[in-house]
Amino acid sequence: MAPQADDRLAVSGDGLQISLAGAWQLVELPALAAALAAAHPRSPLTVDGERLQSLDSAAALELVRALGAAGQDLDAVRWQGFSEQHRRVLDDVLRRRAALAEAVPARRSGWLAEIGRRTLSVYRQGIDHLGFMGETLSALLAVLAAPRRLRLRELTAQLEQACLNAIPVVILVTLLIGVVFAYLLGLQAEQYGANIFVVDGVGIGMSREFAPIIVAVIIAGRSGAAFTAQLGSMRLTEEIDAIRTLGLSPMQVLVVPRVLALLIALPLLSFIGLVAGLVGAALVADAMLGIAPMAFAERLHDALDITHVWAGLIKTPVFALAIAVIACRLGMHVGRDTRAVGMATTSTVVQSIVNVILLDAGFAVLFQELGI
Amino acid sequence: MAAEDSREPVIEVDRVVTRFGTNTVHDGVSFSVARGTLAALIGGSGTGKSVLLREIIGLHRPTEGSVRVLGTDMWQAAEAEVAEVRRRFGMTFQDGALFSSLTVAQNVAVPLAEHTKIAPEMREHLVRLRLAQAGLPADAGAKMPSELSGGMRKRAALARALALEPEILFLDEPTSGLDPATARAFDALVRSLVDNLGITVFLVTHDLDTLLTVVDRLIVLADGKVLADGPPREIARLDDAWIRSYFAIRTMVGGSPGRSDGS
Repeated sequence: MAPQADDRLAVSGDGLQISLAGAWQLVELPALAAALAAAHPRSPLTVDGERLQSLDSAAALELVRALGAAGQDLDAVRWQGFSEQHRRVLDDVLRRRAALAEAVPARRSGWLAEIGRRTLSVYRQGIDHLGFMGETLSALLAVLAAPRRLRLRELTAQLEQACLNAIPVVILVTLLIGVVFAYLLGLQAEQYGANIFVVDGVGIGMSREFAPIIVAVIIAGRSGAAFTAQLGSMRLTEEIDAIRTLGLSPMQVLVVPRVLALLIALPLLSFIGLVAGLVGAALVADAMLGIAPMAFAERLHDALDITHVWAGLIKTPVFALAIAVIACRLGMHVGRDTRAVGMATTSTVVQSIVNVILLDAGFAVLFQELGI
Repeated sequence: MAAEDSREPVIEVDRVVTRFGTNTVHDGVSFSVARGTLAALIGGSGTGKSVLLREIIGLHRPTEGSVRVLGTDMWQAAEAEVAEVRRRFGMTFQDGALFSSLTVAQNVAVPLAEHTKIAPEMREHLVRLRLAQAGLPADAGAKMPSELSGGMRKRAALARALALEPEILFLDEPTSGLDPATARAFDALVRSLVDNLGITVFLVTHDLDTLLTVVDRLIVLADGKVLADGPPREIARLDDAWIRSYFAIRTMVGGSPGRSDGS
């Protein structure tokens, strides 16, 4: 049974004495504040603390604040009957009174400033990406000039992560895309008795667009996010600074192997994805359209010009470079707190995917002009 | 906090045994800490100081034995009861462990917003009091944790630990990584919390200056047991190889906590 706040605060009839009693503690603060607001003390005021059982600094602060708000001059108030411990708590708060009066400056700005800030940050980020791209390319060239500088162990470790371990998920996703694509095309082609043209459609679609794009998106989410998170945590734990202090170049040690790994992984995975997609399509063609696997293969041989495959594969190193550069730069330049690592990782995935799609649109226009 | 209950134990560690696989870290550790004491736990690396601290505050379950904080068994009591006790103590971690997405003031306000029904305006005043009690200037409240120096982070963490007016404060290496002047100021701050607000402080430290200037009581862990327990200056005189080498450095620098040559 909690005592009523009134029990803890009694004001004498003339308003010249306030008597405190019971527990004055943080948990009771709302009730105490209400009681203090209802008291109307008058000067010269005496505050009696003889019957207090406890007084913590939060309650003392509220007392001091309420008396101040009621127009009392705190230096003129007579404090009587407080135990030594309570008096120390009270003095501690009274001593800090002046410092507490200054408000904590707010960190706020208008929406216009916010738009400006964000626009500038997008612009600066674009410039920084380009700068980092240049640094990466010059580091790659340096490795080409002196291949002994290549960190072979790191490269193979990254290749295992980015390429080998990604094969199952790439096969699963592209196989399903092939199945769905062939099924939808088949529904249309069946109406015209043009079943066999499903092979043409799937062959060209998978090799030119689906395999490269789907694989690039998977890798952006898988390896891009991993690169940013790894490099970001290494920056937090000052590992990157340590590499630099040991006279090594973080670009050579960390960035080049990762970029090279993706440059190698993405074309390979795209090809695997292409084959898996065609296998998926062949399964549907066999079951739904009555095209036997051998007939599928023969038709594919006739209909799918090898330029379509090259047109798809040629794009993948460009995608790989975009993903790796964005992922490494955001990781290397992450802010020095844990939240920044999370934000940078999200940012990597979003920016990589957007850039891959933009680059792909660019390629579509380019190939159109070149007549490929 | 009347005078008669000032010696009531607030932390009771009873025959705690901790094993990781076959590795026994604690082999029957027992001690208790009375209210209003500034106690320190020391021991060599690997003696399980941090693990013991985690066991006391209910983050790591001891293999055997019991831990009572404010009279509640941290590993037997119901979850709600333990949560209630958690509100009555504060903890600072080695590197502050401030929430990096919030400003310092918001960090301090988190426990107040979660566990009390205090009005926002009053909360803001209370946050300012906590910042001042932790020795931070008012403008530090608007800063993000990543903008603070090591010493400021520790103070900000202390302000957050103080938010709910704890009866006990647990500090893990409060002065590690601070320069001596800042570290001594932090010591004085902790001492004033004990003296002025009647808080019990339990800290893990390697800082000899902290041990010899502000600490009331020293608990030494070695070989999985409590090797010594008492006022720092008495412990510094004990004739034990590890304790002698621990305090010898201090003697070499010029202070003299006791005889360094043994007898």
